[in-house]
Amino acid sequence: MTLALDEDLMLQVRDGAGEMLGVLFDRYQTPLFNFYSKLTGDRALSEDLVQEVFLRILKYRQSYRPGTPFRAWVYQIARNARIDHFRKFPPQSTLEPEMLSAVVPTDSAQAHEEVELLQRALQQLPEEKREILLLYRFQELKYEEIASLLGCELNTVKTRIHRALQELRKAFHQLAGGTVLKKDEAAAAEKFSSPRRSP
Amino acid sequence: MKCEQIAELLPDYLQGSLGLDQQHGVEAHLQQCADCSGEVTVWKKLSLLPAEQPSPASRARFEVMLQAFQAGRSSQPASVSRWRQRASAWNVFHWLRSPLGAIAWSAALLVIGVYVGLHVSGSKSHMQDLAAMQSELTTIKQLMVLSMLQQQSASSRLEGVSWSTRDPQLNPQVLSALLHTLRYDPSVDVRLAALDALSRHGRQPQVHKGILDSLQEQQSPLIQMALIDLLLEWREPDAAQRLQALQQIPNLNPIVRQRAEWARSKLN
Repeated sequence: MTLALDEDLMLQVRDGAGEMLGVLFDRYQTPLFNFYSKLTGDRALSEDLVQEVFLRILKYRQSYRPGTPFRAWVYQIARNARIDHFRKFPPQSTLEPEMLSAVVPTDSAQAHEEVELLQRALQQLPEEKREILLLYRFQELKYEEIASLLGCELNTVKTRIHRALQELRKAFHQLAGGTVLKKDEAAAAEKFSSPRRSP
Repeated sequence: MKCEQIAELLPDYLQGSLGLDQQHGVEAHLQQCADCSGEVTVWKKLSLLPAEQPSPASRARFEVMLQAFQAGRSSQPASVSRWRQRASAWNVFHWLRSPLGAIAWSAALLVIGVYVGLHVSGSKSHMQDLAAMQSELTTIKQLMVLSMLQQQSASSRLEGVSWSTRDPQLNPQVLSALLHTLRYDPSVDVRLAALDALSRHGRQPQVHKGILDSLQEQQSPLIQMALIDLLLEWREPDAAQRLQALQQIPNLNPIVRQRAEWARSKLN
């Protein structure tokens, strides 16, 4: 049995089969949760926002048009849900590091430190830069989809990704006190392995 | 290649989607440029970030929400047909023949009449006339809203509600009709839309009170949730009491109860 396409499932939801939304929930709750948690650094809020996204999918299901890529549509909703949330509840303080996940999938102390630095560097970026980086790096959106999401040109997306990376590098570098990164950069300059995105 | 050229190529390079020529070009640049190669390093490091898992309760919460939504809508006619109906040309024709259409026609004729009148009579009191026409039009639009809110079909009433959002100012009659819709309309969709429309006028004391008071009467979880959100958004001084009163309703939908609890925690 082949897997049903997201788009077909969404059309069924639109036409009244609300229960099919469960399948979409199972496919998307983790990516959406990761998008929010990396963006906000707040697990509880991220779970609330994921619920809000699915409530909105139900509310606005009639506006889903056949042929619209579901992933792009759902991230549009996700983005709006977050914007609306922060309009209602402006963030009061910057992020506390303890709100971030303490789960690190490795036991190496250095890797642990790097993850923490990276998370902090990411949180230091202005929100729009963090967002575009997350959308591109983790949410598997295409340039075209990001462009329509952010309402800008395709080339602008590329330039913005580059700028966000630039800033992330600087922030990371500063936090690392210039030691960790320099060593890695030297290693990277020596040998370029294939820089494909990990699956 | 310079850094500026790299800017556009780097995202593709990182995804491994460049042609061989361009890839070599980028790599040659990276050899010489510590900044750009630093970006590649940071990009690779991003894969170290752990993929986080939402808590298992999340799925259960979703189930409750879905059930609440479906329960809230079970008395609804299938809305697909509503959209099909709206789109059909016959329906437009039919609409024009309805009392509603008649009002629309008169509005259109009035505009034409006033416009022609203005041009024929010269423009002594041009501004005055224009202002009069504006106010006349607003009245007619609002009359249309009132008439649409009385219609039998939910989609007409829905349309009426959305018409009302086109005017920044609404007369008291329309506002009270909307409040009535919010309380008594049989369709959840229409009530939700009425709430959206009314919340724009939340500064007016009578509307404000009407919206908040409806919290105790609403049966639909969707509306209860929207009202809870509104309480928070408006930072109501007596929000805590209202939420508490809501939570005391027996058989309150669990997700609404949860939401109320969450809202109360946000108030502090």
